Amino acid sequence: MAIRRSRLELVFDILLAIQNKGGKIKPTHLMYKSNLSHKLLNGYLEELLQKELVILEEEPVKKKKRPMKVVRITDKGLSFLAEFRRMREFTDAFGL
Amino acid sequence: MFRLFFTPGWFNGYDLLFNAIGLIVAMLIAAYSWRIYKFHKENRFMYFSLAFLLVSISLAFKIFTSGVVYFYPVRETAAQVLWTAAGPHLQYSGLFYRAGFFFQMASMLLAWLLIFLVSQKSRARLTKFYEVSQIGLFVYLLLLVSVVSNFKYEVFYLTSSVLLSLIVLNYYKNYVTTRKQSTFRVMSAFLLILAGNLISVFVFLQNGSYVVGEVLTLLGFLILLQTYRQVMRR
Repeated sequence: MAIRRSRLELVFDILLAIQNKGGKIKPTHLMYKSNLSHKLLNGYLEELLQKELVILEEEPVKKKKRPMKVVRITDKGLSFLAEFRRMREFTDAFGL
Repeated sequence: MFRLFFTPGWFNGYDLLFNAIGLIVAMLIAAYSWRIYKFHKENRFMYFSLAFLLVSISLAFKIFTSGVVYFYPVRETAAQVLWTAAGPHLQYSGLFYRAGFFFQMASMLLAWLLIFLVSQKSRARLTKFYEVSQIGLFVYLLLLVSVVSNFKYEVFYLTSSVLLSLIVLNYYKNYVTTRKQSTFRVMSAFLLILAGNLISVFVFLQNGSYVVGEVLTLLGFLILLQTYRQVMRR
């Protein structure tokens, strides 16, 4: 049985998904990559936007009138990822 | 003058330096665990931080008490300070050393117990009443061991070795599960500290075993420091 992810682990997975896609990702792709429902993802994204870990941008798309929304990770988000990785390495090493 | 056991004279002071290094390593680990606790708000990180804080408190007590025992000028100053307060009762100064060694042993044994409990892979540990009450019994026994060890020091090293064996077993399981270099290092560090404690049991046969024990314990702490540094470098 899979272990339930904690709130911080979910935040880490969301940010990691964005980083793995080169720093920006479409919200729909993010939903699949982080394995979250639309409602849950929106809740978490709102929190991440408030804490300035990600920003929401609009990118123009060829042959389309409406621009595409993308979620971009900020420098603060990247440093959060690095700190979380360090903590995970520490807790793994000490079996916590 | 009260002595817990006799150590080789040429080594007096070196062991205090080794303990000081161990103290710094324990403080670093305690501080980082506390940082993780503030971040995650999970109790296990707080207990782990407390455990390493207890290790550093124990080493601080050892450095202070042994320092007073080893170094004549410091001992004389301490005696003069105590004389004003105690007067002729200074004949009971052995109690001062006994208290110092008691706090050293009690905090070290409590630290190993906490590390053992935290390294157990149970999700519900330290939350249910009966678990906490069992821990209360353990704490009582460890305090009793610390009192007895003031008269028979081997009891401390033997109890410490038993607890460390259980910790090593937990870290062996952790290593087998993860197969990571960092988990191997942590297991090796505690294995060396265990070996150091086991060898120290035999000081009554050959006081040179105290030197070997202290060197092995120092190596254990240095491996913990290396693991800590590698995590911080990432």
